[in-house]
Amino acid sequence: VRTPIDSIVAQRRSKNKSYRQSYRSCLGAASRLGHTPGWTARRLNTSRRTKSHNITEKVNPEDLALLVKTEWQLSYVTPLYQFRHTQLRSYSRQLSAFITAEKQQGLAVEVEGAQTSFRVSFSVVQGLGETDDDAETVLVQIHSKPVFAGKDEAQKLVWSGWLTCINGNPEYLHSLPKDFTCLPLFGSHGAENLTSLVKSWFQQTFDCCFGPLEINQTCLQWLAALWTNCHIESSIQHLKMIWTLPVEPPLQITYTVNPQNAWELWNSVRTPSLESREEEETARSIDIEEVTRFMQGLMSHFYRHFRLDLSAGRLSQVSSALGSAKFSGRVKMSNSRYILTTLSLLTECALLKMPI
Amino acid sequence: MAATQNLSDSDQSSVNDQSASNRSGNRSLRVAEKERRKNEAEDPFVLALKYFSDVEAGTPVLGNDELEKNLVQVEKVAYSQGLPPEAVSIMLEFAMSLRMGTSPCVRVLKCLIPASVVPQEAVVRAVVWLSVGKMPISTQVLFIKWVLTVFDMIDAKDQLRAIYGFIFNFVTDENLCPFICHLLYLLTQKESDGTDCLLFSSQGRQPFLLHLLSLYKVFCPELVTLSIPSRMKSGFRNHISPWQSALIAVQKRNGLQGASSMSLVTNKDKTNPRKRKHCHLEFPALIPALNKEAQSEQSSSRRMVPLVELHSFAQLLENMHRIELPAQMGSLLGSSLALQYLDCVQDESALLRLNFWLGYAFHEEFLFCGDGGPSQTSEEALQFLNKLLSAQHFLQEGFSSSEVFLYKFLNVWDGSLLRPQILGLLSNIPVVPSSQIRRLLFEPLMQLFFTSSLFFKCGLMECLNNMLLKWLTWHSIYALEDDLDISLNSHTSINMTLSGFKDSVMELIHFVGRLASVGLQLEGCHCLLLSFVLDFYETVCDTFLKYGLPLIVMPPAGVFYPALFATDPVSVDRLAYIMHRYKVNLTSAKSQEKVTEQAFHISRQTFREFNHYVVVMVNCLWNSRMFHPGMGVQLGEELLLKSNVPQYGSSFDLVHHPAFMSYAVNFHQKVSHSKPWTWYLEYLFTQGYDGLKHFVQSNISWQLKADDGQVDAQQR
Repeated sequence: VRTPIDSIVAQRRSKNKSYRQSYRSCLGAASRLGHTPGWTARRLNTSRRTKSHNITEKVNPEDLALLVKTEWQLSYVTPLYQFRHTQLRSYSRQLSAFITAEKQQGLAVEVEGAQTSFRVSFSVVQGLGETDDDAETVLVQIHSKPVFAGKDEAQKLVWSGWLTCINGNPEYLHSLPKDFTCLPLFGSHGAENLTSLVKSWFQQTFDCCFGPLEINQTCLQWLAALWTNCHIESSIQHLKMIWTLPVEPPLQITYTVNPQNAWELWNSVRTPSLESREEEETARSIDIEEVTRFMQGLMSHFYRHFRLDLSAGRLSQVSSALGSAKFSGRVKMSNSRYILTTLSLLTECALLKMPI
Repeated sequence: MAATQNLSDSDQSSVNDQSASNRSGNRSLRVAEKERRKNEAEDPFVLALKYFSDVEAGTPVLGNDELEKNLVQVEKVAYSQGLPPEAVSIMLEFAMSLRMGTSPCVRVLKCLIPASVVPQEAVVRAVVWLSVGKMPISTQVLFIKWVLTVFDMIDAKDQLRAIYGFIFNFVTDENLCPFICHLLYLLTQKESDGTDCLLFSSQGRQPFLLHLLSLYKVFCPELVTLSIPSRMKSGFRNHISPWQSALIAVQKRNGLQGASSMSLVTNKDKTNPRKRKHCHLEFPALIPALNKEAQSEQSSSRRMVPLVELHSFAQLLENMHRIELPAQMGSLLGSSLALQYLDCVQDESALLRLNFWLGYAFHEEFLFCGDGGPSQTSEEALQFLNKLLSAQHFLQEGFSSSEVFLYKFLNVWDGSLLRPQILGLLSNIPVVPSSQIRRLLFEPLMQLFFTSSLFFKCGLMECLNNMLLKWLTWHSIYALEDDLDISLNSHTSINMTLSGFKDSVMELIHFVGRLASVGLQLEGCHCLLLSFVLDFYETVCDTFLKYGLPLIVMPPAGVFYPALFATDPVSVDRLAYIMHRYKVNLTSAKSQEKVTEQAFHISRQTFREFNHYVVVMVNCLWNSRMFHPGMGVQLGEELLLKSNVPQYGSSFDLVHHPAFMSYAVNFHQKVSHSKPWTWYLEYLFTQGYDGLKHFVQSNISWQLKADDGQVDAQQR
């Protein structure tokens, strides 16, 4: 019987690094993927800064116009393998061929012009990223001609979607090998079958997975607070919240707050900055405690009037003039100035869903 | 003889039973019928159907709780067992008449899942409603799609064919056209009315039209003047059918052979754009990588062979050096040949891709599942996990994503959902550092253990035993390997030192010791649980000799005494075997300590515990000094006298021990001779109690005296 020598007996050789990691768990190997030791649940940031973005200087307004005022259905995406921002032209070709092929499955009739019935374009939205770690946002658009359209009729935009990463957790992004591009947030707008086709093309091409991204309660509360916080710069016009109460039959409560009242309530729950020196800094960062106090204020007001405790229910939708967000993962950003704040929050939500 | 007698007796009685039940049969049938009628009147589903057949046009939808309640009822039945034919008629009529507007119409259409057949009349009526023209076009499309989906389930087609021309009129509608063409294609027979087909030429050569035309051309070539391309594959494309998965599920549940009736919809394609609810549980297809531009940078010079082109192990070996990974790494898990290759994959990115996919599937299925939960798909989940387990079994290691998943899942698991599979996965997890093991494993497992049934407890014991076995096996392999080239691994980030590993193993063993002690108490020392516990200690007692791990941990008293006083001889025998192996391990460790320089230290405490247990066992089983002072079990002298047990000291020796009592009696009946003790022992050993044999041979100096085998324990 041999006695193992002490010290590093248990190391594993690099030549068989592993999906299976003998002798170490994903905890021990905190290195590889490891900013998530085990399941130390990543949580939403408890504090976020709300600098007012002069985004129009950074980003092409035409690109921005494509992102705002549309309601997007959100998904999370695991990191893309071998995705190259330099290959977008080729991706456009591949995806349109893929869609055409899928659409014609079972037909195999050679119809002239059918190949061109879908035109896909990939493009980069330059400058949307906040940090150097954020991969550039990718916009995908699909144009098509209606079936019975005349020859000279122009192609219509039938589907659009984007993949983005704004203020992604740097530790997570750094932990990924070079081959992977992390664009965890996917928004789509258009026919559902096209969405599925695009998703399955991405899945096959970049070996990634798409899962539905709900906007959870906390996230909706954050949005309510973040939007209210902007009221002074640009009017929110109203703050509308929809609650679902778990009674039989389900009860839906729409709660609309006058913007001025919301703003005053918000002001009253903000923690006053103690040092005037740092006023600039603190005035621009919001804590989760403030958000909670704000929501509690709204709820207790409702309770006083209707004797209904909203905290028993679930906040399922928030909307204002700046945008709207639903629990089901639909989001609309109506004002480009605040787009980054919203997208960072949603990127965070998407990263929370990553399986590893 | 006795047996046959018994058998015929029981036959007799069962015949009697039958006739008795026949007599009461008529009455009970009537009662049942009455009962059934009564139940039906109160059945919420029947009430709901009644609501939908009676509800008046123009009843408001918003805030109508009654509608909501009834609709939910119908949906529940539809998705669980499918709707009976009359329910399909009622609901279809309700929806298509737009009695309450379009919004409930879509919802009803979506839940129209027939259990058996669809009455033709209902479809014909619905088609008539279609032409009333109040319905939005998307809803019309939805309806036609539904008809296409359930086409094979419509009980007759004659009336539908009778309104062929009527249906044909919808062809002029741009949006409906593809679907109507499909429907017509299915309905067309030789005598069908095809005279309108010249109309098509003005509408371009859309594939679906061409397809229908080709059929017409076959039947009446004189009417179709268009030239049809000769190369035309058969089959319309599969419409994205929202009913398909539900329909298959219902048919499966109802035990119908889905395949025959589903011919229309089941020729499914892999990239079916339909939103399948649980598609994440399917292994992706093994297809060659699509994204070659990016990869060609690395592999331009060599011709690569896609994995999918290989069909045998020999081919795999031949092409080992130039195999191209598939588009989706997850697909490797679905093929046994690919698994062979996976074992050699060294590309970290590839393995990460695999883990992303697997982790995603786990999370979506078991953690993020919002609607319905995993119970609905347990069949799918079961197959998925079984496949995965066999893959892990083949690779002899777990995947790190399943590990991450388990740490989360253990906190929400009820301990019964897919228990064997989850425990199987759990037993595959790699060594957890001792600093984390408590929070990640022990706390959730402890909760599950103490709140679950005996069978869960046994299952968990087995799982933890397997886990320990795997950890020890890894140790014994990698300890050896690293010995050979310890320099290679300097840049890896893994550094679990031997002492770290020992800590983890020790934590695990102590944890199981605690669980076992309390568990045995809770379950009244159930012999099944005891058996699993002893399995575990059979692994533990051999850590040093079998796996080269310098660590020896004794079982706690809560395990030792229940095993020693067990009422079944097997447990006692196994305990004896375990103690024997402890002794062999300890002896060998001690002798090594003397020989080698870098000796490891086994604490005095361990020796002391071991000696104590041996003394207890020998005194109890052999020396009949059961309750002597200084033993583990002590009782007051008076109490013992009060119990009126004669010679209480010997009540647990090999003769009087409850586990061996029957052997003693048996032996006594056969032999009445002097020197019975020796013979009795021999007798026990011939009954297969090797554990006892080893224990006696290694711990007891076996010297015979004339009258009785009075022997002393050998002390270390």
